[in-house]
Amino acid sequence: MTLNGVYMAKTNPTLVVADSGPLIHLDELNALDVLSDFNAVLVPNAVWLEVEHHRPQALKNKKIKLIRQTTPPVVEQIRAMATLYALHQGEREALTLCLTNNIKLLITDDTAARLAAKSLNIAAHGTIGLLIRSVRQELRSTSEVLTLLTAIPQKSTLHIRPSLLNDVIARLKTEWEF
Amino acid sequence: MSSTIHAEVPDQLLQQAQTLVQQGWAGNVQEIVIESLRRYLESHQGVLTEALIQDDVEWGLHGED
Repeated sequence: MTLNGVYMAKTNPTLVVADSGPLIHLDELNALDVLSDFNAVLVPNAVWLEVEHHRPQALKNKKIKLIRQTTPPVVEQIRAMATLYALHQGEREALTLCLTNNIKLLITDDTAARLAAKSLNIAAHGTIGLLIRSVRQELRSTSEVLTLLTAIPQKSTLHIRPSLLNDVIARLKTEWEF
Repeated sequence: MSSTIHAEVPDQLLQQAQTLVQQGWAGNVQEIVIESLRRYLESHQGVLTEALIQDDVEWGLHGED
């Protein structure tokens, strides 16, 4: 089975669907390459338009394979979820793509979208998780990721409570014996 | 007790809100703005966001995908 020319297994751990947040935030940090080990990053049309408006250069990154998706037909399960969690169009399309293509990983920084994904049995992770994962995937060094995390308040529009960010960095330093 | 805020709203969103009011689904645009804000705050509580970030850290360190 293929989706836009990309081979798909029964489930697709190497395909992910992206919401706008991580694409924008990772590009602001010059770290979109942390997505480079995925075969492709599927970008719903509404998300594509949002990123194009706020951070067009993120869509031109040569290190990752972004594939723009057409607006999928509305799935009733998502329609109900959208009302419950006040999801916007991009998040609705992203969850629909995951459901209809059996993609088990959504990348998003939106709390409501993550909760909705969880209730649909779709894993959802954000910018911080992707940065940390890049060490596990040997895409970035521990030192680079600690520097990127430290730079989040200055270089990105991702909002995180400063003391929580400091706690995360301290934990990583312990884990990585840095 | 309430306060007045000034915010710029995309034209399309405002038009959609005005249509709902005209159709009788809401009393006025202000009601829609307040309800939207309430729903957003309910689904974006700090404690939830923090738990999800901690989940991100675990996944980043020890996940399998």
